[in-house]
Amino acid sequence: MKWLVFAWKNVMRNRRRSLTAMLITAFGTAAVLASGGFALFTYESLEEMTARDSGHVVVAHARGFEGDEDVPLQHGLADATGLAAKFAALPGVRAVAPRVQFSGLISNGDKSAVFVGSGVVPEIDFRLRGPQMNFSAGQSPASNAPAPEVVIGDELARLMKAKVGSSLTLLATTTEGNLNAVDVVVSGIAGVGVPEIDKRLVLADLASVQRLLLSDKVGTLSIYLKETADTEAVAARVRELQPDLAVKTWRDLAVFYQAVRALYNRIFGILGVIMICIVLFAMSNTLGMAVVERTREIGTLRAIGTLPSEVVRNFVFEGMVIGGAGAVAGMVLAGGATVALLFAGIEMPPPPGRSVGYPLFLSFSPLLYGAVTLVVVTLAAAAAWMVSRRAANKPVTEALAHV
Amino acid sequence: MSAEMPTVRLGVLRKSYRVGESSIEALKGVSLDVGGGEMVALTGPSGSGKSTLLNLCGLIDTPDSGSRELCGTALDSLDELSLTRLRREKVGFIFQGFNLVPVMTVYDNVEYPLLLLGVAPAERRRRVLEVLGRVGLEPFALRLPDALSGGQRQRVAIARALIKAPALVIADEPTANLDSATARQIVDLLHELAHERNASVVVATHDERMSSHCDRVVHLIDGELQ
Ligand SMILES: Nc1ncnc2c1ncn2[C@@H]1O[C@H](COP(=O)(O)OP(=O)(O)OP(=O)(O)O)[C@@H](O)[C@H]1O
Ligand SMILES: [Mg+2]
Repeated sequence: MKWLVFAWKNVMRNRRRSLTAMLITAFGTAAVLASGGFALFTYESLEEMTARDSGHVVVAHARGFEGDEDVPLQHGLADATGLAAKFAALPGVRAVAPRVQFSGLISNGDKSAVFVGSGVVPEIDFRLRGPQMNFSAGQSPASNAPAPEVVIGDELARLMKAKVGSSLTLLATTTEGNLNAVDVVVSGIAGVGVPEIDKRLVLADLASVQRLLLSDKVGTLSIYLKETADTEAVAARVRELQPDLAVKTWRDLAVFYQAVRALYNRIFGILGVIMICIVLFAMSNTLGMAVVERTREIGTLRAIGTLPSEVVRNFVFEGMVIGGAGAVAGMVLAGGATVALLFAGIEMPPPPGRSVGYPLFLSFSPLLYGAVTLVVVTLAAAAAWMVSRRAANKPVTEALAHV
Repeated sequence: MSAEMPTVRLGVLRKSYRVGESSIEALKGVSLDVGGGEMVALTGPSGSGKSTLLNLCGLIDTPDSGSRELCGTALDSLDELSLTRLRREKVGFIFQGFNLVPVMTVYDNVEYPLLLLGVAPAERRRRVLEVLGRVGLEPFALRLPDALSGGQRQRVAIARALIKAPALVIADEPTANLDSATARQIVDLLHELAHERNASVVVATHDERMSSHCDRVVHLIDGELQ
């Protein structure tokens, strides 16, 4: 305690210099915390986005994920209703959504385009997707409508010159390898914000799609959970219950999420390394000057019996005082920014490949704050150790003769 | 420690400094014993090697050749760490320029050697107050050294050197920065405190009054004892 008090007094000896190092550390800490908070927020948003899209756990036929089917639903699930009921009974499961992926041509009579579609149970699916599916007109299809209804992507609607109520024709290969067609009515126009998807998107009622494909199988069962954190546990339970089926989690399927995460980890990793260098530099500069100025004092303390390691320890304490104060100030700055952004309503521009932006928020992670503080204080201590070691081991007479 | 064993025993010490190409022989084979509680004045013209001898005597420098003993311990084979520990326990220093730690109060400066020795807080407090009383600085305990006169600062330094009751006190021109009246007080004080605590003192000085207080005066000329 006494040593910390001495360290504090020594830090205050040259206030301006110590304050400069403290501020540099504070801004470095704040920058790392803010960018880390932004990365975390992005990860969390993408996690939620992907999980909402694919479901937390996706179950398919053993070869259902391989994508090498000769005809649609060749590797489909036969007893979908029974399986869905079984999975729905697992603890932590919110809902189970059966889906059929299919593709083909969509036509308005004059021109046609390729579509990539899903057959879904509208009552379940649209509720689970939540705000992800952004309707610009109309609503989700009704499963008991007189003519089959579809939601199409806003880009596709533009291409097809379709509006809510327009009639279109879907053309697809059946499970028997023949072509089949069905006339559908557009019940809604929506987008997920990715132009590449929105120009091909078709969401239709599951029963209609099964009729089109001449099958009663489904492609996948998407299991939605109450808590994303339960994903692995539920996936494990499902594998236990149905070892014959293939089970993937949203993480396995989230190519975009993984790519963004890898990119951000690299960008913010580099930023972290730069901050480490800046903090190290500021610290060793400040403490280095203090060490040179106090060489005679070091000589005096050494003469009256202070060990070199004790001299170094005192400087390490000083470094930790400056680093700790800087880290606390940095946390206050970053915390302030986190709170301020909650009210600022700043929009980020759309990420690559997307057409809509997203709000700029920072996530607060106690673990991140703790880890960064630990790193900063350790760096400060290391810098102090580096710059004081030589002077502390200098011959005493030499140190005493220093002017 | 037996009465006949000297506190310090220096045998044929040689020390030279290299300055560029040439080297200066600062000590040319100096032998000196300082008895327990003895106060020895080291005099001689500037550049005669007084500081060099004090540094060797106070264990903050090593000779080129010769032998050293402190309280019966041979020092020749000891490394810097062991020498530091010996200084911590047995040697007090008083410098010409006072060399107090500016951010520490008078109290903290005087207490410092006891902190190094790991003395318990209550005992530390008792001893600090006692020695501050002896040097007449109790009212100034919470001042910083900057707020003291030269004489007061040197009294703090004397308190710091003697608080641990060292076997040996090294003082290199402790009165050179003081006016003559203050110097006399400092000489008296050092003499008294060292005597009370049975500490041997080796003091380098140009000051006649200082040497007249000492048990023995040793004259150094050109690196040799006269
Ligand atoms: N670090 C050093 N490097 C080179 N030469 C030195 C060094 N220290 C002392 N000397 C030389 O050694 C000799 C003895 O110096 P020392 O300081 O011991 O003398 P001194 O008697 O203490 O002198 P003063 O009364 O001026 O303090 C001198 O010639 C001095 O120039
Ligand atoms: Mg000298």
